Amino acid sequence: MAKYLLKRILYMILTLFVVATATFFLMKLMPGSPYANEAKMTPTQLKIMNEQYGLNKPVWLQYLIYIGGMLHGNFGTSFQYSNQPVSSLIASRLGASCQLGLQALILGVVLGVIIGAIAAMRQGTWVDSTATVFAIIGKSVPNFVLAVLLQYYIGLKLGWFPIAGWGQFSETILPTIALAVGPLAETARFIRTSMVDTLSSDYIELGKAKGLSRIEVIRKHAMRNSVIPLVTLIGPYAVALMTGSMVIENIFNIPGIGEQFVKSILTNDYPTIMGITMVYCIGLVIVLLITDIVYGLIDPRIRLAGNED
Amino acid sequence: MKLNWKRWLAAGLAVGACALALTACSSGSSSSTSAKQTISWMETSEIEGMDQSVVTDSTSFNQLNNTMEGFYRLGKNSKIEPGIATKTTVSKDGKTWIFTLRKNAKWSNGDPVTAKDFVYSWRRTVNPKTNSQYSYLFSGIKNADAIIAGKKSANTLGIQAEGNYKVKVTLDKRIPYFKLLMGFPLFAPENEKAVKKFGKKYGTASKYMVYDGPFVQKGWTGTNLTWKLVKNKNYWDKKAVKLQTINYSVQKTPSTDYNLYQAGKLDAAILSAQAAKSLKGQSGYTVLQTSSTQYLEINQAKNNGLKNLNLRKAISMAIDRKGLASAVGGANKPATTLSAPGMTIVNGKDYTDLVQNSQTKALCTYNPTKAKAYFKKALKELGKSKLSYTILCYDDDASKKAAESIQSNLEENLKGLTVNISSMPKKSALSRGVAGNFEIFLTGWQADFNDPISFLDMNTTNNSYNWQKWSNKQYDKLVAASKTTSSSSQRWNDLAKAEQIIIEQQGVTPLYHAASAWMIRPSVKNVVFNGAGANYDFKTAYVTK
Repeated sequence: MAKYLLKRILYMILTLFVVATATFFLMKLMPGSPYANEAKMTPTQLKIMNEQYGLNKPVWLQYLIYIGGMLHGNFGTSFQYSNQPVSSLIASRLGASCQLGLQALILGVVLGVIIGAIAAMRQGTWVDSTATVFAIIGKSVPNFVLAVLLQYYIGLKLGWFPIAGWGQFSETILPTIALAVGPLAETARFIRTSMVDTLSSDYIELGKAKGLSRIEVIRKHAMRNSVIPLVTLIGPYAVALMTGSMVIENIFNIPGIGEQFVKSILTNDYPTIMGITMVYCIGLVIVLLITDIVYGLIDPRIRLAGNED
Repeated sequence: MKLNWKRWLAAGLAVGACALALTACSSGSSSSTSAKQTISWMETSEIEGMDQSVVTDSTSFNQLNNTMEGFYRLGKNSKIEPGIATKTTVSKDGKTWIFTLRKNAKWSNGDPVTAKDFVYSWRRTVNPKTNSQYSYLFSGIKNADAIIAGKKSANTLGIQAEGNYKVKVTLDKRIPYFKLLMGFPLFAPENEKAVKKFGKKYGTASKYMVYDGPFVQKGWTGTNLTWKLVKNKNYWDKKAVKLQTINYSVQKTPSTDYNLYQAGKLDAAILSAQAAKSLKGQSGYTVLQTSSTQYLEINQAKNNGLKNLNLRKAISMAIDRKGLASAVGGANKPATTLSAPGMTIVNGKDYTDLVQNSQTKALCTYNPTKAKAYFKKALKELGKSKLSYTILCYDDDASKKAAESIQSNLEENLKGLTVNISSMPKKSALSRGVAGNFEIFLTGWQADFNDPISFLDMNTTNNSYNWQKWSNKQYDKLVAASKTTSSSSQRWNDLAKAEQIIIEQQGVTPLYHAASAWMIRPSVKNVVFNGAGANYDFKTAYVTK
């Protein structure tokens, strides 16, 4: 296990390094400068600004300086927000995206598993068809459409929850629902298929024959085996949800990181682009590692480090 | 076992229902804002900084306009209103200005506002090391250009403190719009003690600032989407300030802000094009006209026929500006002048009325027949039967819609002309603009201050913004003359003539003046909106019952 972990961590560092390098050089290929009023600046001003931001140096040197800084936890200063360190910019924005993503993930997956399981248990009945239709709608309706509808009907017309904003728990409910519907539908579909498979297995029949109750069979045998493949699905979901959705963040006025990322690209805010990319990437590799470890833990058939005989 | 499971489920449902009910209650009970002198306003993007010497965006300048104060403030229609200066003396040649400061003006930290604060602020802004991207507005103040170019020390700038309450400003040349500039927050004083104390953090959050204007800012942390402006207890004219609090939020989706407006959580909401159409005429519907113009820059530097005047005239007259303005949405107005209307009143008339004559109007009016005739002439002069050009535009919705509308107008009315569209992110398009790497550029300009020179100066031959490389000696001469004359009527004449030339020669092809449609709660009174520079001033705004 330790050997496996060490190997994985080395791979992770390599991945981060490759992503940092590729992003850095691709970013430098983007046309335009990070300055808002370049045409009105004198050559001296441009020179001084380039010196201050280190943009006067050759790109390879800028790259080395950046990587050096990053290793010391220094992501530089944002061009767009004057004098704002990128690390504090990310820190202040990541929390909201993470919270929202986590809530949506939990809601979506838990409800998805329940709905999927019920549909599988009632296979071929109206319950199953309803769940399937629901899953198809959930998967095909974009979350921003749902967000706008929720906001108008539940927020404005019924007044049950705040229309937009961030700070109180009640303000997180509508965006959580909007974000959760996609994973919910996918999870439900996934669980249904995998459970229908499991339910027709011999050991389930054996369990039933031994006189176990229906609930007991589902809970102890069918569910556990059906949920395993879901772990593969949850990893990328977790990253996708927690790194923020620009559209949902904009609709509900959430100070998240998703919108900031897009804006940094549009304004050539190099340090912010790099900083957020690295945070995303770190999140993704960590989640993938955890997924693999969890996989091994819940399913003893999966070995993490080769043959242990 | 079975019973247990059901019991848990029932209990869970009950708790869930209670929680829902509770949150519903709490959200419903916090919606009373009326009658109190509190309003909730919105911006469409975040504050990028509060350091007036370095910020460039309108949200930040709107904040600074309400929290800082220079020699003057700008009232309705950019009317000069008293600020920190109580008296202004101007020398006969217009080059020496002496501002006498009020003695009761204080910073929010209790320090008096003195002449030194102005000197410090101005020197700091023009110092190239400060990285001000707006320092060009100091051009014309003695030595400013040389300092910005790094050739002289910032201490040589034409501003001096004469004692604690007198500031002497020396100009290289007369600046006819100097008073307007003095109302822009860029020229406000800065508290040296605070700038030095906070160092790099100065202006990066509400708490790292001191203010001398009607309001102080609270709760802005540097990147968040909500904050407040609260009445400044140390402000010299606090009796005139009625509002106690302005709650600000950043709204990026028009449907959200309008929902919040309807729920009473916002007092002003920008509308989407669709909502603007359906709400037009309702109580609260307000059109805010910015001092801006969208136009085509037709590149004269490339040897591809665009230098042909008849071709440019044909292009201009083949564009249906009314259709274009409505296709883009909002409350945009078709443009027949380069300068935006509503900026300056000259002898009781809008300045743009001086510009318009039958020729300029005809050239900016949709006339397919004449356009065809000009196009025919152009093809003959160029010895070609077909032409093809690409319009460069930004990749936002409005720009793309505008480009498509122009493309269909041109291809439909000018047979033999093929128009392609190349849309890209703003920064990329702008860098192409600066490099002159375009054929036709769909872009625009918003005035820095409410004077037509803001539009005209940039099209003179050597201006760094003259990306289309249009050049006309007479035009250059008139713009230069407008800057030196001491007679204001002569100045307006010069500017209007220059603008007639640029339209007649199609140095740029004006398309429309951008305006945004808002719902503003009718109980909110006296909010000053100016289309150029910093837009809002809440100093004398108030709420009626």
